[in-house]
Amino acid sequence: MLEAQSLFSFYGKSPIIQDVSFRIAPGSFTSVLGRNGVGKTTLLRTIMGLTDGIGGRLFFNGTDLGRTRTYARGPMGIGYIPQGREIIPRFTVRENIVMGTYARPDRKRDIPDYIFELFPILREFLHRRGGDLSGGQQQQLAIARALAMDPKLLLLDEPTEGIQPNIVRQIEDVILKLNRELGITVVLVEQNVHFARRASDQFIVLDKGRVALTGSGEELSDEIADKHLTF
Amino acid sequence: MASILLMVALGLAIIYGAMGVINLAHGEFVMLGAYSAWLLQTYFGFSILVSLPLVFLMVALAGLAVERGVVRWLYHRPLDTILATWGIGIVLQQLVRMGVGSDSRYVGRPTILDGNVAIGGVVMSNYRIFLIFFSIAVLAGTWYLLTRTEFGTKLRAVIQNKEISECYGIRAEHVYALTFAYGAGLAGIAGALVTPLISVTPSMGTYLVVDAFLVVIVGGVGSLLGTAVASGLVGEATAFFSFLFNDTLGRVAVLLSIILLIRFRPQGLFPDKVRR
Repeated sequence: MLEAQSLFSFYGKSPIIQDVSFRIAPGSFTSVLGRNGVGKTTLLRTIMGLTDGIGGRLFFNGTDLGRTRTYARGPMGIGYIPQGREIIPRFTVRENIVMGTYARPDRKRDIPDYIFELFPILREFLHRRGGDLSGGQQQQLAIARALAMDPKLLLLDEPTEGIQPNIVRQIEDVILKLNRELGITVVLVEQNVHFARRASDQFIVLDKGRVALTGSGEELSDEIADKHLTF
Repeated sequence: MASILLMVALGLAIIYGAMGVINLAHGEFVMLGAYSAWLLQTYFGFSILVSLPLVFLMVALAGLAVERGVVRWLYHRPLDTILATWGIGIVLQQLVRMGVGSDSRYVGRPTILDGNVAIGGVVMSNYRIFLIFFSIAVLAGTWYLLTRTEFGTKLRAVIQNKEISECYGIRAEHVYALTFAYGAGLAGIAGALVTPLISVTPSMGTYLVVDAFLVVIVGGVGSLLGTAVASGLVGEATAFFSFLFNDTLGRVAVLLSIILLIRFRPQGLFPDKVRR
């Protein structure tokens, strides 16, 4: 579904991602791990076309993303949930979710009902402004916005960072459910090894912009975590 | 005059609020609107009321050409847009001077709006009353466009977070181009409507745009309400001080009051409050 062949990605002239290759199968769950500043966020931003330029090849369902502008990538079925959530603060919850539908190829503008079954709190706060929600609620809103476009692939950047523990569990369960029950392919950038191990079919460890290690979910041992993820 | 000012300032405020572009060619869009109205009246005999939609389209197209041709390359260099739009303004002025000549042109008032009405002891011409209502309608229309339509929602999304908007399928450059064209079109309408009140010359826009900038600053950048209130204030204050002293001293008094206001309230009357 998503395939990178010796991918490079640049900010200005500095290559942040260097010679990265991977293949992500439809319906799979991939975790991207690594210390701070090794290029995990840049990898997701590269998939959305938000860096200054790329080298190598990047394919989504056979389409060359190197030739696709950012605004055309959403409608192909890539839902991006960025670090820090980046919901629109002065939009109501409703407007934020409707914004997700702008990436639908079929131009429908209704919000699918299952979103409110996943996140009942959003139905309750439908007319509040996004900026007035708590961090956890904003994260739920960011996921809801991506779901409104009916994505085939979800890119999640540290969705549980800075969120109160009782909501962390809830968000993790929703992400698992989206993958296992709705068959949405997930790429998750994560610091939490336990969740990555529980959820992933495969993991990719990045170090200094390169792939340090890959493997299946069960192979993500504590030694690997100690070696590559602790400071 | 306050109503004309409102329409000019509205376009300016939208363009600045949406793209951070200080459009110094805005006065020339007003001038183009006035000449379009003159053209349509002189050669086709259209009353300005009939030509309004045409003028809006013509000037909006001119705005679109300016955005596509020049401004869009400069979004990441805001200071350079000031210089570039100023240059465009001069070019437009000279083109009109070469094409039409620099003599003043006159456009007749629509005959259905001839005559005066006396309200309580104050006599006002029908045309000016029409202008007041028309500009309020334009304000309401703009508010509706920005807050109740899909285009407006996309525009507000791009203003607040361009990157994420693009990730969700919004073509920011289209939104920018259409916004610029809309702002230019509003200036064009204002230019067409001002023709019965002042004579049409290639440099007429410069005078109007200064006041429009004052309005945007006084009202608070990015606020429709502020633009509306401030255009009323600046327009009325100019009239009041000119009546009290004379035109020149009146002007001085208005500018002094604005300097004082900005000294104590630099964010303007109704700044756009953001919580991020």
